[in-house]
Amino acid sequence: MKIAVLLSAGLHPVSGAPVLPRVEAQAIRMAAGLGASSEIFGLHAGPDAAAIAEALGQGLDRIEHIAVAAGDDPVPALAARLAELAPALILAGRRSQGGDESGLVPYALARALSLPLVSDVVAAAREAEGALRLDQSLGRGALRRVLVRGPVVVTCHPDAPAPLAYAYGRARRGRVETLAVAPAAVPAPAIAMEERPYRRRPKIVKGAPAGGSAAERLKAATGESGSASSGRLLIQPDPEDAAREILAYLRQIGVLAPAGAGAEPKI
Amino acid sequence: MSRPRRDPRAERAATFIAGEGPRPRYDRTRRAAGSGRPRRDPRAEREAQRIGGGARLRYDLTQVGRPIGEAVAAVPRSAPVAEAPKTVIVETPAFLVAVVPDAPGGRLSGHDRQVLGAARALAGREGAVAVIVEGDCEGLGAAGADRVLRFDGAKGYDPAGRAARVGVALAGLAARHVLFPESLDGGDLARRVAVASGEALFTNAEVVAAKGLVRPARGRRVEQSLAPPRLATVAPDAVADYAGPPREARALPFEGSVPVETPKNIVSATRIPADPATVPLSLAEFVVSAGNGLTDLDTFRQVVTELHATPGASRVLCDAGLMPRHSQVGASGTVLAATCYFALGISGAPQHLQGVAGCEHVVAVNTDLHAAMIERAGLAVVQDAQAVMPALLRLLAQESGQGAEGAPL
Ligand SMILES: Cc1cc2nc3c(=O)[nH]c(=O)nc-3n(C[C@H](O)[C@H](O)[C@H](O)COP(=O)(O)OP(=O)(O)OC[C@H]3O[C@@H](n4cnc5c(N)ncnc54)[C@H](O)[C@@H]3O)c2cc1C
Ligand SMILES: Nc1ncnc2c1ncn2[C@@H]1O[C@H](COP(=O)(O)O)[C@@H](O)[C@H]1O
Repeated sequence: MKIAVLLSAGLHPVSGAPVLPRVEAQAIRMAAGLGASSEIFGLHAGPDAAAIAEALGQGLDRIEHIAVAAGDDPVPALAARLAELAPALILAGRRSQGGDESGLVPYALARALSLPLVSDVVAAAREAEGALRLDQSLGRGALRRVLVRGPVVVTCHPDAPAPLAYAYGRARRGRVETLAVAPAAVPAPAIAMEERPYRRRPKIVKGAPAGGSAAERLKAATGESGSASSGRLLIQPDPEDAAREILAYLRQIGVLAPAGAGAEPKI
Repeated sequence: MSRPRRDPRAERAATFIAGEGPRPRYDRTRRAAGSGRPRRDPRAEREAQRIGGGARLRYDLTQVGRPIGEAVAAVPRSAPVAEAPKTVIVETPAFLVAVVPDAPGGRLSGHDRQVLGAARALAGREGAVAVIVEGDCEGLGAAGADRVLRFDGAKGYDPAGRAARVGVALAGLAARHVLFPESLDGGDLARRVAVASGEALFTNAEVVAAKGLVRPARGRRVEQSLAPPRLATVAPDAVADYAGPPREARALPFEGSVPVETPKNIVSATRIPADPATVPLSLAEFVVSAGNGLTDLDTFRQVVTELHATPGASRVLCDAGLMPRHSQVGASGTVLAATCYFALGISGAPQHLQGVAGCEHVVAVNTDLHAAMIERAGLAVVQDAQAVMPALLRLLAQESGQGAEGAPL
């Protein structure tokens, strides 16, 4: 099985030094976990190959590098190379790091190659008949188990297993191949944006009225307003009545399945 | 506060004493009737704060501003008695701002409400907010929706199909701006829609205003701003909910045909719910927690299992070794992000309440009417938790018995 791992040139959020984004290292581990018989390679489109050499130590033996000028869109170059190689699985990170962090590259690639895309995957395993079992994160520990057949683009979620340890020997043995083909320069679709240093903004306090007083904001922050202010109070009810009230309340807010229903069969 | 405006002339005229001689006479001691606020009676207020009839005078000073009635009948609850606010109607909007909420299970999530608040900020007075939902969804008008475009969704996992349907709906709507929540589902949908229509997407906006949108970039070292683009996703907890009067949420007809395609290559998709017994406390959706007021922890564990909840505890129980340390809720334990917190026999110390501050709904059972947890709870039951727990178990067993009988196999 041929697996391509897409590597972006990440920058460390604090130091600004080139670094392999953690989620892409996790994607490499996910690829490595799919079997020893797999042929796994990294793919990067960008001006400089040095930025991604770290990925060799994280478990890749071979990285293909397509030289693309700094301001250009990497998607056409990546799509052309991937169409040529036709890997069974294309793994990417959920968001890149250090750039625009928009997470659009995998979607654009899936569109260009007309492949299905499964997002935010935390675990992948091989099933019978060449099918692939992907566990997609739904937040709060819930998963969606998707069975796919045929080539697919998968983005990796940060909740996936931690990356493999960096191995110096592997990093020395691995190689980065710069492809000779020079793709046509395609400038990235630029939107005129203004940039300035980041300014932290106060967290919004849930339930605080707009333009309220400080006392109202404090009340909202400690949770005294909202549900509490309109709350119901039962004093010394019969325990059976209390239980009925509690269950009705829990059902009304939707944390408990309705009476008689089993686990909700949501997909 | 708006008090009625005083009218000195009318007040003066009211104190006028008619007749009796040529000289006009006024009764200055008579007060004009209906001049607004009732006069305070400090003595009566003090008397109302008095508790019991013992020899020693005892006052409950937390009972303020209640001059008459029983002293300690119930916890005072400030119930705002506002008259039902009028629904705002935008008849002919100058433009539309579309919102595509996640609406899991036909209910707006907190993040969806924030996106609606952002859309309202963009729409202003002239524009209208149009919500695009699959299936039914409740509470849209109160959250700030002027129009609702509803269409029937397909069953099963088909994100590409959903993106296609939303794309068709957006094309019919001709909205000036479209906002998505930057959540797992919403972010995925937004990217699919943007790529399919070949438009740029402004992701993860932290500020949404008519002046422009702002998002962080390069590891939060810079921020990028832009005049409101057509497609954007809104970061969680960055924009306030809509707080104005309810909106109309008028239904719009759905025009255009929905392309029906079977999802390519996807063989099956099953949802695996989080196992509440093993999910980390900080991620849990529904936490049932035990405090020092509980003695019967076996029944408590049964209740937790039956309610499909994650167990929590106060520090006292964890210190005593009755519950594992990782189940401690509070400042030195876990800060919850749960939707609902159910506290049994917990007093609600500040250190404990800090861990519960983010929970939307709180249910408390406590024997002490004056416990802080009772004050915090949306449903507060002043009763022995030891009696309520078996009652809950009985009721749940009864319901499941009925459900098994009634449900067709
Ligand atoms: C630095 C510091 C950090 C701390 N961090 C934490 C923390 O992270 N988490 C935490 O929980 N605590 C923390 N604490 C401890 C906290 O201050 C309280 O002591 C603790 O939360 C009280 O736990 P409790 O409500 O279970 O017990 P109690 O205060 O003893 O309350 C028991 C309650 O149960 C009620 N009750 C009694 N019998 C019944 C019955 N039969 N049925 C129903 N109700 C009944 C009582 O009325 C009472 O309200 C911290 C303290 C300090 C100093
Ligand atoms: N220039 C690139 N070359 C190869 N892969 C890339 C490149 N840019 C982005 N990717 C992949 O796309 C993911 C999301 O990137 P982005 O859309 O830039 O946030 C990254 O985690 C990478 O896996």
